[in-house]
Amino acid sequence: MKKCSWSAPAIAAAALLASVSFGAHAETKGPVTDELGVVEIPKDAPIVIGGYWVISGPDTALGLDSKRGVEIAFDDIGNQIAGHSIQLIVEDDGCNAEGGQTAATKLATVPDIVAVLGPACSSAATAAAPILWKAGLTNVGTATTAPSLTAADRKPDYFGYMRTIYSDSDQGRNDAEWFFKDLKCKTLATIHDGSPYASQLAKVAADHFKELGGEVVAEEAVTPTDVDMRPVLTGIGTKKPCVVYFPTFVAATAQIIRQAPEIPDLKDSQMIGGSAVMAPGLLEAAGDAAKDFRITNVDISPEVMGAKYPEFIEKYTKKFGEGPINAFHAQAYDAGVILAKAIEKVAKKDDKGTTYVGKKALHDELFATKGYDGISGPINCNEHGQCGAFNFAVYQFTDGDPSTFKAGENPKKIFPTK
Amino acid sequence: MTAPNNSQRQQAWSGRLGKLHRVTFVDIVLWTLRIALLLLVVVGTIATLWKGTYDARHWFDFFMFGLTIGGVYALIALGYTMVYGVLRLINFAHGDITMTGAFSAYFLARSFDRTGFLDAYPVTATLGIMALSMAVCTASALIVERICYRPFRHVATLAPLICAIGASFVLQHAFRGMFGSNVRSYPDPEWLKGHVSILGLSLPTVQPLVILSAVAAMIFLYLVVQRTKMGLAMRAVSEDRDTAALMGIDANKIIIFTFVLGACMAGIGGVLYCFVYKQIYFYMGFLPGIKAFSAAVLGGIGNIPGAMFGGFFLGVIESIGPPLFLDGLGVPAPYQLRDLVAFTLLVMVLVFRPQGLLGETLVKRRA
Repeated sequence: MKKCSWSAPAIAAAALLASVSFGAHAETKGPVTDELGVVEIPKDAPIVIGGYWVISGPDTALGLDSKRGVEIAFDDIGNQIAGHSIQLIVEDDGCNAEGGQTAATKLATVPDIVAVLGPACSSAATAAAPILWKAGLTNVGTATTAPSLTAADRKPDYFGYMRTIYSDSDQGRNDAEWFFKDLKCKTLATIHDGSPYASQLAKVAADHFKELGGEVVAEEAVTPTDVDMRPVLTGIGTKKPCVVYFPTFVAATAQIIRQAPEIPDLKDSQMIGGSAVMAPGLLEAAGDAAKDFRITNVDISPEVMGAKYPEFIEKYTKKFGEGPINAFHAQAYDAGVILAKAIEKVAKKDDKGTTYVGKKALHDELFATKGYDGISGPINCNEHGQCGAFNFAVYQFTDGDPSTFKAGENPKKIFPTK
Repeated sequence: MTAPNNSQRQQAWSGRLGKLHRVTFVDIVLWTLRIALLLLVVVGTIATLWKGTYDARHWFDFFMFGLTIGGVYALIALGYTMVYGVLRLINFAHGDITMTGAFSAYFLARSFDRTGFLDAYPVTATLGIMALSMAVCTASALIVERICYRPFRHVATLAPLICAIGASFVLQHAFRGMFGSNVRSYPDPEWLKGHVSILGLSLPTVQPLVILSAVAAMIFLYLVVQRTKMGLAMRAVSEDRDTAALMGIDANKIIIFTFVLGACMAGIGGVLYCFVYKQIYFYMGFLPGIKAFSAAVLGGIGNIPGAMFGGFFLGVIESIGPPLFLDGLGVPAPYQLRDLVAFTLLVMVLVFRPQGLLGETLVKRRA
């Protein structure tokens, strides 16, 4: 009994100590006090911004396009934020969870890093966002569309995550409506690759297709590195779906469209891919099989984008010697700009010219972004970090030669037709 | 003969009891597992067939897919099994050696395709592509053997195995460094796209082509090993290297010969793999390599017909297994579990036959 009476206050004391040391650890540096910590940037030192995207492997275009968007955004503000030059530190996440985890761990340990941009893959973001948020870093996603990342019921680990891109809950619903109303299909089969992006998008599309009154005859899965799609396609073929929808990444998508013509049961089915494969890499991997292949995507034609979009494309082409290589450069550009603006707003200077940025203040400022006229369209953030809006479009590849790739021409927009 | 007396009976009983007592908890768990897996397979199969989603035509298609990829596994598996037979070494880099050949041949295939040679002279072009693939495989196999294996040949440690894994990474990343990490599309000539009719059944041309090429290569290999002097010497070295050396066989030459044979089979296998999957990627050798190694173990490592059989068996199980065992049980997306099905079956086979399907129990004292 005696022991008990001893231990109770001890535990209470320990808990108190723990809450003091791990709970609120407000930090004061110079004129700024911030509960998540303050980044101190001496005069003439650069402002360090992290970035992580897939910049190697078959999905390179997806990440590289975003990275380029951010670089142009920084060019446009003269590579200066609050009187400091910008240093962008980029890590490769390989478009997978392990890569995201490694990239985030590396970025979180960079001294005096202010915030992080990217990634392009939801699987990387799902692993990385909690690590970054633990380090007090706000993460602005540029091409990650998985609904769970900004869902109303997301876990506190993800509170530091926001994105300038749309959510696939919009993409999936629009996909289903297009299949049902425009393609006039009553049966749908989906294939995903187990990634958060593909599995959530396929599910949203399938669920909404059912709500519309259609029948989902198969919900299959492959792995991103699978090469043999014939068995899974044969299985789906037995159900004779009107549409086969597979929002997978480049390697798997290429295998599916190369092997589908060999399945006699699928000859009347329409094969539709997703937004991750609007890339020259798909043509490289699929060759002529990609001709006439259709993908659903966000509309990136100049008439629906922000007013400054054509100007941006000019800069892009001039800087990199080619047109955009994917669909998400504009969202990345906007992410770079709103981050720069937010830093400018919360940064405080002392007499010596040292700049101080409060991490929580920066987080709140970013999440409060409203009515910003981005080149990808209007940016309005809600409290869950969802900032980007969505315009549905369908694109179709017109040629299998990788050198003919040009977003808007090959693949060209076929829906909506205006 | 007299009837056993009481004490003898008692002895016999206690003997049996003694044996019974040796049934441990682990045994029970293992047997439960075996029975559960067997039940799963049987119930799954019955349920799938009862459901009738797939008709005979589909099963035939699955079987042919399986044989096609199985043929490729078998060709690669031969390299594992021969090297193991001669050196008692798992050449873990073999899958990536396959990749080097297929990757290099891609460039030749692409230029053949662009100039129209591939469509005009299918046989010559294919033989040319295969020859290049075999040459590159042989070169990389010999380099790996010289640098990674030979220095350790007389060292009884795990060093060669670790070296093999290292060589595997070096090959992958050398190709990644030289040619980039993009997935590239293998040419798809017109004559490979059609269907052929065999015994009234229509098949994609690529399937009989791959299966027949694989079988032809295996027959050739079998003749080399069984009917030539080099083959005889190889079998002798595999039986007992020291005694073979005493008989005047140059073991070094035989080991090189073995690597060359294995690499040639891998070279053919790599090109056939590309005919089926039509993609090139620096990492493409790893998984087929692991599968082929499993096929070699399944067939009984060190045993040449075993590797062939193991390859076909694994290919067919991979293809038929998921729909047959899992579809009827209502498992969603059974194909994602393809490797699980294949490897579970591999474990099952090895639990019942540790030496592999065609393997003999290895003589313990060997080179």
